[in-house]
Amino acid sequence: MPGASEQITRLLDEGMAAIAAARGESDLLDAKGRFFGKKGAVSAILKGIAALPAEERKAVGEMANRARAGLESAFDARLSEIREKERLVREGRERIDVTLPGRGPMPGHRHPVSQTMSDIISVFRRLGFSVQGGPDVETDYYNFEALNFPPEHPARDMQDTFYVESAAGDLVLRTHTSPIQIRTMERMKPPVRIIAPGTVYRSDSDITHSPMFHQVEGLAVDRDITMADLKGLLTEFCRMTFGPGKPLRFRPSYFPFTEPSAEVDIRCVICGGSGCRVCKESGWLEILGAGMVDPSVFGFVGYDPEEYAGFAFGMGVERIAMLRHGISDIRLFFENDIRFLSQF
Amino acid sequence: MKIPYSWLKEFVDTRLSPAQAQEALTMAGVEVSSCRFLGEGLDSVVTARILEMRPHPDADRLSLCKVTDGSTTFGIVCGAKNMKAGDAVALAKIGARLPNGVEIKKAKIRGQASEGMLCSEQELKLAEASAGIMILPEDTAPGIPLADALGLSDWLLEVEITPNRGDCLSVLGVAREIASITGEKVVLPDVSFPEEGAPIGDLVRIDVSDPDLCPRYTARAVSGVTVAPSPDWMRRRLTMCGIRPINNIVDVTNYLLLEVGQPMHAFDLDRLRGGRIDVRAPKEALVFTTLDGSERKIDPGMLLIRDGEGPVAVAGVMGGANSEVVDGTSRVVFESAHFSPPSIRRTAKRLGLSSEASYRFERGVDPAGTVYAADRAVSLLSRFAPCFVARGVIDVGGKSVTPRTVSFRPERATRIMGRAYAPETCMEIFGRLGFPVADDGTGTWNVTVPTHRFDIEREIDLVEEVARLSGYESIPTTYPESKAPEFSGDDRFVDVQERAFDFLRGRGFSQAVNFSFVAGRTWERLGAFLGFDPADAVRLVNPISDDTTLMRPHLLTGLLSNVADNVRRFVDDVRLYESGKAFGKSYAGGHFEEPRLGMILCGKRFPGDWSGADASADFFDMKGVVEPLLLHLCASPVHVVPTRLRPFFEEGKAADILRDGEVVGWFGAIRKELLASFELTGPVFYGEIRLAKAAASPPPPGQYEPLPKFPPVFRDVACVFPAGVPVGDVLAMVREVSAEVEEAGVFDIFTGEKIGDGYKSVGIRVKLQSLDRTLTEAEVHSIHSKIVNLLENRFGGKIRTS
Repeated sequence: MPGASEQITRLLDEGMAAIAAARGESDLLDAKGRFFGKKGAVSAILKGIAALPAEERKAVGEMANRARAGLESAFDARLSEIREKERLVREGRERIDVTLPGRGPMPGHRHPVSQTMSDIISVFRRLGFSVQGGPDVETDYYNFEALNFPPEHPARDMQDTFYVESAAGDLVLRTHTSPIQIRTMERMKPPVRIIAPGTVYRSDSDITHSPMFHQVEGLAVDRDITMADLKGLLTEFCRMTFGPGKPLRFRPSYFPFTEPSAEVDIRCVICGGSGCRVCKESGWLEILGAGMVDPSVFGFVGYDPEEYAGFAFGMGVERIAMLRHGISDIRLFFENDIRFLSQF
Repeated sequence: MKIPYSWLKEFVDTRLSPAQAQEALTMAGVEVSSCRFLGEGLDSVVTARILEMRPHPDADRLSLCKVTDGSTTFGIVCGAKNMKAGDAVALAKIGARLPNGVEIKKAKIRGQASEGMLCSEQELKLAEASAGIMILPEDTAPGIPLADALGLSDWLLEVEITPNRGDCLSVLGVAREIASITGEKVVLPDVSFPEEGAPIGDLVRIDVSDPDLCPRYTARAVSGVTVAPSPDWMRRRLTMCGIRPINNIVDVTNYLLLEVGQPMHAFDLDRLRGGRIDVRAPKEALVFTTLDGSERKIDPGMLLIRDGEGPVAVAGVMGGANSEVVDGTSRVVFESAHFSPPSIRRTAKRLGLSSEASYRFERGVDPAGTVYAADRAVSLLSRFAPCFVARGVIDVGGKSVTPRTVSFRPERATRIMGRAYAPETCMEIFGRLGFPVADDGTGTWNVTVPTHRFDIEREIDLVEEVARLSGYESIPTTYPESKAPEFSGDDRFVDVQERAFDFLRGRGFSQAVNFSFVAGRTWERLGAFLGFDPADAVRLVNPISDDTTLMRPHLLTGLLSNVADNVRRFVDDVRLYESGKAFGKSYAGGHFEEPRLGMILCGKRFPGDWSGADASADFFDMKGVVEPLLLHLCASPVHVVPTRLRPFFEEGKAADILRDGEVVGWFGAIRKELLASFELTGPVFYGEIRLAKAAASPPPPGQYEPLPKFPPVFRDVACVFPAGVPVGDVLAMVREVSAEVEEAGVFDIFTGEKIGDGYKSVGIRVKLQSLDRTLTEAEVHSIHSKIVNLLENRFGGKIRTS
């Protein structure tokens, strides 16, 4: 076949030009059909190869195959190019403003007191304490008497009490969550390890006192509990709540249901101890009260104080929330202003 | 209680500086909340005398003074008019920085040089206000630092005494504490005085008819005394401690109250009818006028001091107007008694009258100290007010005071505190406290406790003394042996609550915390709309205000007023929830309180939506929160039924939620009248869940069922129903038609002219599915017919064919 090689060379040039000129996918497929598809010109040459003299077949065959391979790879490259271009055009057309707000509500906000309470509870649960609740409307017996506040004892003045109308005249709004200690010990034998979170009430109202507030009380009773254990536990609690490097100070105090009793101060989280308004220049902040369970309390629940010892501690949740969030007026907690709640 | 450091030093000559004493006392359990130098800002203020005074040549209101501090003469321009030549005054020299912050500089005032300033009490912060400059007593020597002249080179300690330490409510008590800390000695002032009067028994007769309420009654008497102001130093100390000076007799009793903690009372002997005192509680109620001029209703059992005819004082609380010391008084009986603490407390409480005396008697006054206090009183008085002290002392019940003995094991202190206390350490501490110890070698000691320490009755009280006086900082930190924690029902409740909070937070709700008490009058007024049952109300006896008289029967009003407050602050789209208790008393078991979860919602369905769907939230937005929340918490099906039992909801827009046949909550559109009373207009939706009941038991683990292998068939039916037919019931029944009905749902609801008044068109899509085969056309047709049959015959529906 005279000029077969010229013919292949020409087809190759024309094919390449057609591929390069293709504007879209259909132009390109059209070029493929014309030049190297099953019915294309190059295929036709290969089909006619049998008619060639034997000495030319090999050379023409190889040349045609090479031409087809070259066209195929050019085709693939051009196809990718075209598709990429088309994709960009389509995406440009369909682009959306991803900075617009998403659909559905943004999350609401946890109340800082409730959040602080949850955090305290979870720290003590990790330390092996179990939660116990109790009624808000309590009897005088559980709120005072069994906690070693005898009738007509001045210790009762430590907590301004709300009384609840009742036939027997012995109902109060609990002034602390300590009655849960008694209710729990009445129900179970040692070892006891509980925390008692809850709402408490005292007849007092100013920028640091609210007639209703929240407390978390803790109690551990076992054969070998000591005040050193109490110190260790509370040190760990403060580290987990306020972060490391905040020394604690235990100083003697008085609660009717613990003896010895302690007030626990933490190095002022505002000034670091140099003295500021929040800590009243003392460098320390009072954050909780604690002590060893008074033997009289064990007497009320039938525990033998020679066999068992225990510690109890209690803290005001609002106080800790105020320190954590830098809130200076306790009344903000109960106004439920969304502009306030959204800050937490 | 406020205590001047100088007064403490009279009882214990301590090496501790005021600041050290503050720290040491605080760390021993006697909290000193402040320690203030009284002469602050008086560094360059001295006493001076006015030599001459003339008007300022160029200013009517000013005068020119020449004053001397004894060595130098100063020219001062002064604006006050209340002084004259010869007066002793307070001169602030150039460079002084006054307590009110003013700095004194050399100045020319209207052309006249002023070399300092004459100060007023107000400028020195010695008084709230003053009319002119301070005029000092005539005999004041010039040139003394003012702080010294006024006794202000001193520190005032503010001590917070816990209720168990009544013994520390005095200078002597705090001095004893310092001595217990440092090991220094307490020295009591000498109380010698001449007894020159008649025997006291000739002047007054004293009986104690109720010795249980008055175990000891001690008295001294003086005659020939003239009532006058007490000396400056005494008046100053009383004022510093917050007690107003009255006259020399009363001031002495108050001085002793502060000094040794013994409340005393002075009677005008000539006003005691029959010259006698009887301590007894009346059998019948009576009215008595106390010395503050108030008429007091005295109940039987309240202890009184009576003279020959009637009451003259409420024992241990307040004296009477009829026997108090007055200007002409010349014969005085000093009472120094010991009263039973609970009796005093009951009386003071019932009278609503807490005095310095009753406060101390309630907390315990040393029964052994009555004679010393009486002696000290007459000894002090006789030093500055000439008088005759009657011979002898009356002391009824004086022999019965014996100190208590308490046993103590050093080993016990170690066991409780988790720190070893050597017996010698304990012994040394008891020594500092002045507690004699008898050790018979058995390991149990007998410790004698002085009568002023009311708080020490048991071994644990001694353990505390050892622990506090050896310092809590010496206790190591250890950790309690770990035990596997219990998992209580309340642990579960806390977890459920947390899940509810997280769910609601994700739905855009913020958490509110309201008081558990509400305004009873609001509930009374809106009772019909709130479903308020006055007979079920839990009421406070002594509310702090009108807004806190009633324990809330449910959570609605708190959240509703939160919505109103926020709307008033221009926040219109409000979503709030609250977890708290509801209270009542009519439920079984008398008293009732139950944890509830309240949710409130108003404003736009999707706040901040930009797609043009500006729809307001409606009933189904609330349902779309409450129902999935319950499924999220308890994973067992709940049933929503219309209700007419919740008056706070609009009728027809109210539903109860049932779980296993029990009401676990309710929700709906808040009734218009209620909204109006909270000044709200737009619709507000509310839901409340009985949280403990809703999540009472953990759901059992889900059980696997094989997944269908054959394709489902879907059929749509459009049907016109009378408007009152509940679609929920229709769907529930459709699901029961055959086992192959896998699901039935609503895809469309509409009403209108085409359908006819009183009717609604409901589009129902049914998914049919068999686990073991592909459903045949005939089977599908048969089920479809049954459904049509149900819709038409059971619910009065008419199938739409269009």
